[in-house]
Amino acid sequence: MKTLVIASGKGGTGKTTLSALFARFAAQARPLVVADCDVEASNLPLALRAEVTSREAFPGSEKAVVGEDLCSGCERCLDSCRFDAISMLVDGAARIDEWACEGCGACAPACSSGAISLEPRQAGELLGGECCSGAIVFGQLQPGQDLSGKLVTSVRERAKALAEEQGADLVLVDGPPGIGCPVIASISGADGLLAVAEPSLSGEHDLRRLVTLSRQLRVPVKVVLNKADLSAEAADKLRATCHEEGLELIGEVPFDEELLPTLERMAQEDVSETVTDTEDSPGIRAARSIWERLESWLAESPQHRSAGPAFVRLSPAPSNGS
Amino acid sequence: MVSGDLEKRREKGFTIAVASGKGGTGKTMVATNLALFAARSGASVTLVDCDVEAPNDHLFFQVDARAETVEVPIPEAPAEACPSGCTACRDTCRFGAIRILGGKPTVFSELCHGCGACALACPAGVLAERLVRVGEIESGRESEGLRLVTGRLDIGEVKAPPVIREARRVAEEEAAELTILDAPPGAACSAVATLQGADLVLLVTEPTAFGLHDLELMVELARALGLPAAVVLNREGTGLVDIAGYCDSQSLPLLARIPFDRSVAERYAEGELLIDSHPEGELWFSGLWQAIKSTSALADRETAA
Repeated sequence: MKTLVIASGKGGTGKTTLSALFARFAAQARPLVVADCDVEASNLPLALRAEVTSREAFPGSEKAVVGEDLCSGCERCLDSCRFDAISMLVDGAARIDEWACEGCGACAPACSSGAISLEPRQAGELLGGECCSGAIVFGQLQPGQDLSGKLVTSVRERAKALAEEQGADLVLVDGPPGIGCPVIASISGADGLLAVAEPSLSGEHDLRRLVTLSRQLRVPVKVVLNKADLSAEAADKLRATCHEEGLELIGEVPFDEELLPTLERMAQEDVSETVTDTEDSPGIRAARSIWERLESWLAESPQHRSAGPAFVRLSPAPSNGS
Repeated sequence: MVSGDLEKRREKGFTIAVASGKGGTGKTMVATNLALFAARSGASVTLVDCDVEAPNDHLFFQVDARAETVEVPIPEAPAEACPSGCTACRDTCRFGAIRILGGKPTVFSELCHGCGACALACPAGVLAERLVRVGEIESGRESEGLRLVTGRLDIGEVKAPPVIREARRVAEEEAAELTILDAPPGAACSAVATLQGADLVLLVTEPTAFGLHDLELMVELARALGLPAAVVLNREGTGLVDIAGYCDSQSLPLLARIPFDRSVAERYAEGELLIDSHPEGELWFSGLWQAIKSTSALADRETAA
């Protein structure tokens, strides 16, 4: 079984658009599981018309809580907190800002009257269902909650288990924007990463950062240039960057004004057949031929990864004297 | 009380966070153009790039920047096996960042939040902390007087919120009448670190089902944080969704509508600001700036001043 992640450093380059098209192309030939790892704002379930069949609470981090009338006002907790989450109210009692609290628990033992306890919070949901390309797994973090990397890992683990169960040999992952914690969780241990770049100064800058990350994580990467004809100057620069960096540009998708409305129609009505079979816009045509190349790349790549998703690389920090 | 608030606000200046759940809706475009427009109108302005995973504001300005590093404390395992032979540090850590291997703690720094609870818990006092670099902050001024502060997370690091908080702290070192925070996409901890304490959250969206879905999440977040929100509709004319109708139904002020224009996208891709490349760009941002001033407490400040 292979895992392919569609990602980009910059947001809005077309990750979900391409993921949705690839999922439909892939589903014509084989069973697959799609996973949306953008748990902060997941759009793939919309684009693929997911029907949710399972929901599981995703437990969040704990938050410190001050028991009513228990605070003696000693203020020792203030010094123990490194996140400026505690302040003293006018009545002399400590108050925890739950948005700033990271749930580390340093304040609880510091409290002279045992007034502080830690209470669990629900951070989001892990969802599963059926969509027009088959099984789909995604997550929805409640706005403002942390632990997005951990929820991403749960989404990937669930998708992998489901693929094994259903005998699917492909997990197609729509990744989050950026290069931080949720992105690392999305691409660690994957068999391939398709970086979606757009021809702009920002697009090039952010592509470089994503490629450096994928090389650190030893995930093979290829690039697709989306909205390729938006700026001839920026596109040339991006092609040169790929060449310089030894990156394979697997294909280019032209700026296609019809693509987004098509995707929106896909989200609103059941037009799966028409979209992938008969609609023939330049964007869809380009995406299809890129998908064919991606499939042969995946078929050739060795099954070298047994680790599966990992929230972190789990390399111990270098320690003193060792 | 009220005059005290105003006094405080005058010292602090007015802070706008430009945010969106979905990536690529135009946060950076709005933040950079608005910042320069306000600076040209005579305000002292600091633009803070809080999208520390993919910071792009600096690509649009020539700034002679000064850099400083962002460090977070992480525990440092003792060289020898622990004298106490206990597991207090591991048991205290709520993030699973410490394991006991060979009679002493081993630290997995990617999981560490830098809270210091482990060092406090160590009965033998042998678990020290050291500072580890996770990113950098660049700050400087461009030729028209706009101050730019950029937070940049080191590649491979996971601790974005400390870099965002440090960028905001560096921004506050020099007083500005207006501070614009360019937020990262998303609605989780990095967004919270950017939005907290802002006077206005300006949500940039596009008229598609995806834009609306992610806008709803951000409205929920702004409300949970108790912050006033307003909307900028970008790429009007491209999608099928009625954002203005949504804003009406939610009593959200829709402060600007920027139509889709391929030539705008093209010039922006090449690093030009809309207020310079297109005459109508200046009109849109002048309208947005006026709308912000009249709907926000900035108006109170000016009256009070």
